[in-house]
Amino acid sequence: MPRGLFAACLVAALLVAAPVVVTIVQAAQGGLSVAGTAIGSTSTLTLLLHSIEVAAAATPICAVIGVGAAWFVERTTLPAPRLWAVLLVAPLTIPPFVTSYAWANFGPSFQGFIGAAGIIAFSYYPIVFLLVAVSLRGLDPALEETGRSLGLNGRATFFRVVLPQLRPAIYGGTLLVVLDALVEFDAFVGLKFQTFSFDVYAQYQLGFSTSGAAALSFASIALCVILLFGEARLRGHANYTRVSQGARRLAARYALGRATVPVMVAMTAVVAISVGIPVGMLVRWFAESSQAGLSSAGGNLSYLLPATLTSVEIGIAAAVLGLLLALPIAVAAVRRRGPAVTVLERTMYLSFALPDLVGAIALAYLASHWLHFLYGSFALLVFAEAILFAPFAVVALRATFGQLEPSLEESARSLGAGPLASFWRVTLPLARPGLVAALVLVFTFTLGDLSTTQVLLPVNLYTLGTEFSTNSSTVAFAAAAPFAAVLIALAMVAAYLLMTRFGTVRALVTR
Amino acid sequence: MGDLVCRELRKAYGERVVLAGVDLTVAEGTLTAILGSSGSGKTTLLRIVIGFVAGDAGTVSIGGTLVTDSASVHVPPDKRLIGYVAQEGALFPHLTVAQNVGFGLPRAERKLGGRTADALDLVGLDRSYADRRPHELSGGEQRRVALARALAPRPALVLLDEPFSGLDAALRGETRAAVLDALAGAGATAVLVTHDQAEALSMGREVAVLRDGQLVQTAAPQTLYRTPADLELARFVGDAVVLPGEARAGTVACTFGTLGVRGEVVAGAVAVMIRPEQIRVVRSADGGGVPARVVGSSFYGPETVLHLELADGSGTAVSARTFDGADARAGEEVRLLVEGSVMTYPAAGTP
Repeated sequence: MPRGLFAACLVAALLVAAPVVVTIVQAAQGGLSVAGTAIGSTSTLTLLLHSIEVAAAATPICAVIGVGAAWFVERTTLPAPRLWAVLLVAPLTIPPFVTSYAWANFGPSFQGFIGAAGIIAFSYYPIVFLLVAVSLRGLDPALEETGRSLGLNGRATFFRVVLPQLRPAIYGGTLLVVLDALVEFDAFVGLKFQTFSFDVYAQYQLGFSTSGAAALSFASIALCVILLFGEARLRGHANYTRVSQGARRLAARYALGRATVPVMVAMTAVVAISVGIPVGMLVRWFAESSQAGLSSAGGNLSYLLPATLTSVEIGIAAAVLGLLLALPIAVAAVRRRGPAVTVLERTMYLSFALPDLVGAIALAYLASHWLHFLYGSFALLVFAEAILFAPFAVVALRATFGQLEPSLEESARSLGAGPLASFWRVTLPLARPGLVAALVLVFTFTLGDLSTTQVLLPVNLYTLGTEFSTNSSTVAFAAAAPFAAVLIALAMVAAYLLMTRFGTVRALVTR
Repeated sequence: MGDLVCRELRKAYGERVVLAGVDLTVAEGTLTAILGSSGSGKTTLLRIVIGFVAGDAGTVSIGGTLVTDSASVHVPPDKRLIGYVAQEGALFPHLTVAQNVGFGLPRAERKLGGRTADALDLVGLDRSYADRRPHELSGGEQRRVALARALAPRPALVLLDEPFSGLDAALRGETRAAVLDALAGAGATAVLVTHDQAEALSMGREVAVLRDGQLVQTAAPQTLYRTPADLELARFVGDAVVLPGEARAGTVACTFGTLGVRGEVVAGAVAVMIRPEQIRVVRSADGGGVPARVVGSSFYGPETVLHLELADGSGTAVSARTFDGADARAGEEVRLLVEGSVMTYPAAGTP
């Protein structure tokens, strides 16, 4: 591997791993007794089990919805596939804490395990959907045709030819969902259901014991590392780059026929649950506010514009930084496979191992002890968001880079372009849809983040998320609603961009 | 100064030896075809020359400049000034034809279009193609643009990796001719890698045959075809009829009588190699010849290949190429004559 690329990967990985390292240092400083007390408390094991149960229940639902929806949208005669694609990705852009309050409003039965698992399943299936959809577009239709010619019917072709090729996308997508579910905090703020992250939060909040919270995070770090390397093994040598050569035909769409209506009903149900509930609840809050003629909502509106601007600034800055962190690793992971690259790439996902809160505290600790100029700064918040969501950028970039034929870069090299020049003149222009997708993903997640923002936001600033949170905690949802509405509107624009850009990847690369 | 000299190139992937000491010299301004079946190491050889792969040992120099020396020197591919035409062309899909062709030129020359237009002329493509996108071109046109792109920066050496694969027969012939013309017009030294015997023989000033990571023979096409170094090679570069014989003093005695031998003569029991086109099929017994029975025939248009069995009791299978279009039924009795001299190899090679 070229030294420059390796150095860039190493720097990115070290930056992303910084909060984890600091957390370990913090835990060590607390000493064994604090750690023992924190881990040994009776509730810890129960709450950790809660988190694992939620992950176990939600992940299969995500996988089934994600793969099924991707198949119907990409490969069948479902009417208006583009519209469905946008609707199916939309939940990803709705801030988890908004969804959380919306579900909680349905009543006590939704504030427990069912609500928790449901929110995770219906907020995060789009990750699986996106990755599988892109993968499906990259499949060579000749393989399916060969399957059919060998006597397999449509169903058997799907399970024996198509599904195995989707494995990397499915593993990658469900891994992100599992990791997220294990340390999720924002999505449960409205519920009465307590998970592992709640325990960490309580440690931090009640005793103000950073060491205790850090010690607890060991459990999630260990789980995360096992999952990351487990997935790397499972994926093995699965190849993202297309091996066959020559012109590729467009894949045929299977006729849905009589199944059209049931499929559309099922997809409508998915969209209704994932998008309809939060958006519907938002509309209700608005209606209530106008009925009551609440003046508080009006008073709050002066905060709306500054909050929007701050949110967008943080989002854009984090997206750019996240992209820069993800680029070298994504290139190396596709073009220079090896044990060193695998370790570096997996390190990028370590930011998932920490509950957001712990990661944010670790960064604040780092700044207050060693990097004073960063303490309480806008830059530190942007950095925290960037490393938190950089893994999504890595995933999006990998998928795109994997579809570029290496011979294109080789041709550029033979024509006198150096490694950087050929990257700039050939790889980047061709990967532009993937770059946009990566930017949009990090931007959207940053908009929807709450816990990291609350810890690291400079004192004089406020965002759409923090304003929503402030107002919703006084149970004045009507006052909170405008902030959520702007958040969702911004995110929807991002989602639309995401789908239209991501969709052009293949069209550009293949004939 | 554009000759290519490779010395003692070696490369292994783990236990698998891909190149086992390859020496290759390509004279300036000529085209050498490297012929090998898949897995023979020909693509690896090409990739070492261009610098995409580092060899384990050996040197490569172009025009007298050392570009690869396993111990110390590895000039990166972008500094070697080698034109490279990848399989399938590998045109940049985000650029037009003109932008593709101008890719390797200095920034100032890219816009002018002078050199770009010249390169398109060189490969026989009309200038109206300049604004098209790669996906709007046929397979043959894509290969020509790829060659124009490789030739535009005036490289000292051009490497072509199976440049005609995936083209239909008619387009193949046409594109081959266009490529030969363009290379001659540019005066470029070229190396063509192929698994297609006819392509290698028809295009190369010299043909180098790579087998199991070693060059078994490097020679002019006629020499290679007429006097292949061993029996396996004889069968690889063309169809061969092989019979047992007894060699002595410049001749060999076999079923077809006493025949002249070319090349090296080994005395004693030998395998006799005859090309099918040397065997003439006659229907009357007047001219002599060896009796044989037709087993079947394959009709190719201009030529017909007869599959025969010698009637001497040995049942030896023989094939003959005829151009008279005469119909031959299975079971028909004919006589066979051998024209010209034949090759002999040590008998161990007899099947």
